[in-house]
Amino acid sequence: MIEVRFHGRGGQGAVTAVRILASALYLEGKYTQAIPMYGTERRGAPVVAFLRIGESRINERDLVHNPDIVVVLDPLLSRTVPVTDGLKEGGLIVMNFPKPGNEAGIGGRFRLATVDATGIALEALGRPITNTAMLGAFAKASGLVSLESLEKTLLEQWPGRLGEMNLRALRTAYERVTPPVDVSGIQALGKRPQEEIFSRDVSSWRIFKPQLDEGRCVGCRRCYIYCPEVAISMTQGKARVDYSSCKGCGICGEECPTGAISMIQEVL
Amino acid sequence: MRRWEVMVGNKAIAYAAKLARVQFISAYPITPQTSVVEYLAEMVASGELDAEFVNVEGELTAQTAALGASAAGARAFTATSGPGLLYMHHPMHMTSGGRFPVVMAVIHRSVKGMQPDHSDMMAQRDTGWIMLECENSQELLDTGIMAFKIAEDERVRLPTIFAGDGYILSYTAEPVEIPAQEDVDAFLPPYRSKYPLLPGLADEARRVQMEQWGIGQDPQLRWRRQQEAMEAAKMVIREVNEEFYKWFGRRYGNGLVEEYRCEDVEAFIVAMGTIASTARTAIDRLQARGKKIGLVKLKSFRPFPSEEFKRLGAMVKAIGVIDRNISLGSGGITFQEIRSSLYDLDERPRVLGFHAGLCGKEVRVGDIEMICEKTLRAAEGEEVTPLVDWV
Repeated sequence: MIEVRFHGRGGQGAVTAVRILASALYLEGKYTQAIPMYGTERRGAPVVAFLRIGESRINERDLVHNPDIVVVLDPLLSRTVPVTDGLKEGGLIVMNFPKPGNEAGIGGRFRLATVDATGIALEALGRPITNTAMLGAFAKASGLVSLESLEKTLLEQWPGRLGEMNLRALRTAYERVTPPVDVSGIQALGKRPQEEIFSRDVSSWRIFKPQLDEGRCVGCRRCYIYCPEVAISMTQGKARVDYSSCKGCGICGEECPTGAISMIQEVL
Repeated sequence: MRRWEVMVGNKAIAYAAKLARVQFISAYPITPQTSVVEYLAEMVASGELDAEFVNVEGELTAQTAALGASAAGARAFTATSGPGLLYMHHPMHMTSGGRFPVVMAVIHRSVKGMQPDHSDMMAQRDTGWIMLECENSQELLDTGIMAFKIAEDERVRLPTIFAGDGYILSYTAEPVEIPAQEDVDAFLPPYRSKYPLLPGLADEARRVQMEQWGIGQDPQLRWRRQQEAMEAAKMVIREVNEEFYKWFGRRYGNGLVEEYRCEDVEAFIVAMGTIASTARTAIDRLQARGKKIGLVKLKSFRPFPSEEFKRLGAMVKAIGVIDRNISLGSGGITFQEIRSSLYDLDERPRVLGFHAGLCGKEVRVGDIEMICEKTLRAAEGEEVTPLVDWV
């Protein structure tokens, strides 16, 4: 039996990813189990999902504690979530990371493959939903599932244009993912406090950051009212963003009637 | 045509209702409701399923509406979870008292939180419903179809719950075989109520109803008749399980309990639902190490298969009972009922109790191995304490 753990953030599609993978593997004659880990859902909060791959019916109904493979859907997640916990020696990490893998802060007796899934998702979908790109990277790096089975499953899940867009993300990541490299010589990032679902500092959740053009702000308070994280305050009639509380959801920019708030991609 | 699909447990439940060609579905559509009724609503809206789907304003009404539809002679289905099931408690007595064969899917959710345990169903244990527990999504689909046949049997005429653990089954996707509609149609013919409360047919129905409600006779009689129906259900469940096997090639033990690797063992553990599934792996590992312990899966919680446990208990020296529930102030519910079933044996095995998986606490293979090892120590005559443990 092969066990896989997916790490992502609420909204990046980790649950959908394990389900698609389970269906695709089933097409190849494998028995699968796709387990989402539900808690108090909050967009941007760290989430996990699991996948078991076996040759016959899988009886275990507990969670996966010692995965063979870890897939990380978000480039900053590994700074606060111990993504390699319990990973078997010689295990594989497939990670969304835009820079060379040795800068990812992942070290140990593992192999690491990286791909800029956020960049690919923005290109293919126009949104930073990285799950389908990461499935492409998983297929190539692990060799456990064929691109064809994933493509077939994707088109069943989303017939039409949405499916085509996701196919593009899948294929691009399949082509661009780096071959797995040994990271046993790399110093892993030190233990950091584990990220909590109700964490106050959510700045690492952001892919886009709101930027305010004060000249265009008319002080209407819409952004202040709609912000789900109470990250916006009003100072002298103008909006002010507290970036430690802002998770970058972009609702303020959507609601601003004068276009004073624009969303700018964060640089890792 | 039979086909396979990777699906979540909730979808498997919806398929059971669809293949059974339910005519009436009532549901309160928001939390704690599950996606079972979303799938069914889609099937009704797309014309795949010809049924009346009624959105109601709460679970009390969902149950009452299903009761009414069943009284009028329709095959009625509803589904709920956790606190929603608690809210149904009052009309559930009416459904069983009226002998209306409503079938309900229960997706376990603890009454103390979102995660699963069996406290929601155990709070309904005396409502006179048949209660069947499932360990995987295939079993949910299969048991759902069987539930209608059991409930509607003339010897039974009792409402039936089939249940599975929330999240662990309800949102976990795995391959499930969907039986062919024509096979299900042959296995489960349309429901023909003998006593429908319909204009013109109502006189005989009213007479039966009066009798069922105990009017003009021994007031205890309605309880007694229901208890007799529950006893009869034990035989019917076994028959339906066998007939299902003939049609679909799958059966679940004898319908009441399922023995897993119980040949030549000194002890066994008892578990319900998904814990029984995980326990299979634990038993495999222990037997590979030469340990003589097996698993008995309790599938039918109501009616409770006391005779089965008496038979099985005579074969071993110790039994470890895992309860994903507790009757506060008393203890594990299946623990007590199994102990009580063994009372008439000349030589009784030791019976140990374990509370596990309450409020969704994870039950790992290792936890069950530990339970097995303690049970084996008791089988060897060791004085193990405490008698009842929390895992």
